Amino acid sequence: MSKYIQLFSLYWQNGLVYRTNLILWRFRQFLSALMALTVWSVVFTGQEQVFGYDTGGMIAYVFIASFLQSLVLATALHGLAQRVYSGEVSMLLTKPINFFGTLAIEDLADKSRNILFIFVEMGLLYLLFMPTIPLPGLQTWLIFGLLASMGAVLHFIISLLFGTLGFFSPETWGPKFLFFVIVDFTAGKLFPLDILPEVVQKILFLTPFPYFSFVQTQVFLEKYTQPELLNHILVLAGWLIGLSVLNSWLWKKGMREYTAAGH
Amino acid sequence: MLKRLHFYWRIWLLWATNAFQATFVNRGTNAIFLIAKLARFGMSLVFLLLLRQNIDSFAQYSTDELVVFFLIYQWIDLFSQSVFRGVYKFGQLVRNGEFDFDLLKPIHPLFRALMGSPDINDVLLILPTIGVSIWILSFLEVSITLGSVLGFSVLALNGLLIATALHICVLSLAIITTDIDSMVWLYRDLSRLGQFPVTMYMELVRFSLFFLVPIGMMITIPAEVLLNIEPSQAIWVTLVIGGGFFAASIALWNWSLKRYTSASS
Repeated sequence: MSKYIQLFSLYWQNGLVYRTNLILWRFRQFLSALMALTVWSVVFTGQEQVFGYDTGGMIAYVFIASFLQSLVLATALHGLAQRVYSGEVSMLLTKPINFFGTLAIEDLADKSRNILFIFVEMGLLYLLFMPTIPLPGLQTWLIFGLLASMGAVLHFIISLLFGTLGFFSPETWGPKFLFFVIVDFTAGKLFPLDILPEVVQKILFLTPFPYFSFVQTQVFLEKYTQPELLNHILVLAGWLIGLSVLNSWLWKKGMREYTAAGH
Repeated sequence: MLKRLHFYWRIWLLWATNAFQATFVNRGTNAIFLIAKLARFGMSLVFLLLLRQNIDSFAQYSTDELVVFFLIYQWIDLFSQSVFRGVYKFGQLVRNGEFDFDLLKPIHPLFRALMGSPDINDVLLILPTIGVSIWILSFLEVSITLGSVLGFSVLALNGLLIATALHICVLSLAIITTDIDSMVWLYRDLSRLGQFPVTMYMELVRFSLFFLVPIGMMITIPAEVLLNIEPSQAIWVTLVIGGGFFAASIALWNWSLKRYTSASS
């Protein structure tokens, strides 16, 4: 266990080597949340109800979704496929540590670093927009925490899946970029997905995208009935199991083809 | 002067041809990039059209005008990405010393750094974007006249000058310090704030977007002139900021180039 604590400490320090980049990255996340909150504040200056939301409901939604996305979507594994293709992962594979465990620690260290900034950013946004956020009961907090953690694991597994691209092709950024673009709109940061036409929502709920932050935010705002909650937990668990199996199969298949290029 | 321009035009054509051929080497990846960029454009439009259906006005603008602001952001952003893609890789060239080779060549290093890697994906997107924009403009209820188009054309050129200046600033900062790979992405996120009229932001942000990082002068003012809306800043101020910013960025480039240490060579 102590070696993983050491690894956590190393990855934490490693992420602070280029401090300006880290600060700029957080500032960019802040700008994105600022834009979403400003857009909706302006929309509601002219009318009280839009898309079934009132001012407080929408601002609270965007505020919580921004917080969650900063946490769930923060990852240190963006370049994993490149590390696989270039043979850089050989260094990890030859060490007496669990490969996926090490990547999980790397991701966790990145999220922990981001958390510090997230609280500062959210505090600032809170002072600027003064959202009225209805605090739910303990049970909802627990379910919210559970779903948020599951969302983070879901994103981690998807990051690993993108990493497997490195086994088969040097061109790894195209699919990842497409994923970023889709997440940008469908995870529900700029707008809640329930403002979209019914048919689009149904299609989106066949994908994992709403489980990065939209569903969790709706849980926090107590928009779901008990059966709906259970359904979402089961669907998210299904995604986690399904993608884990796929991930395991792809990594095994990739490892058989791995040539440790350049090493 | 004309001879020199022709010389640089021929060099750029050569780079563009090379980039075009490279695009066809990685057909699959580039097709995915193209799809992703089209998807982003489409999804932004869907959101704006949803707003258009459900709200009457946005700040002091109509929802139809709001769509035009986005289209102008899209044009200016697309053009600058098509031409200035090399800026995204420049930090790496400075760190590994490859920039030395550009300094030895008989062409201006700024020209090479700024325009050396045109993005063919974005070039391919220009035509569909213009086509979709014209189709959308045809059903929007906005007031566009020949005079406003002429005024817009001048201010759009000024906007491109500002975009160029901002990219030159990013290049200069990459020479001064190696710790800022995110700077060009910060520029992208700041320019993304211009998808909506920057007058909607709170005072401090609005001031910054007009005068410190003049995204407002680059997108909002040209859009207001095109729509025959009284511009949020005087046109002469916009032009002075555009010219001044460009001159300052060139001065910054010259200053930073003198501090280039060729560390990795």
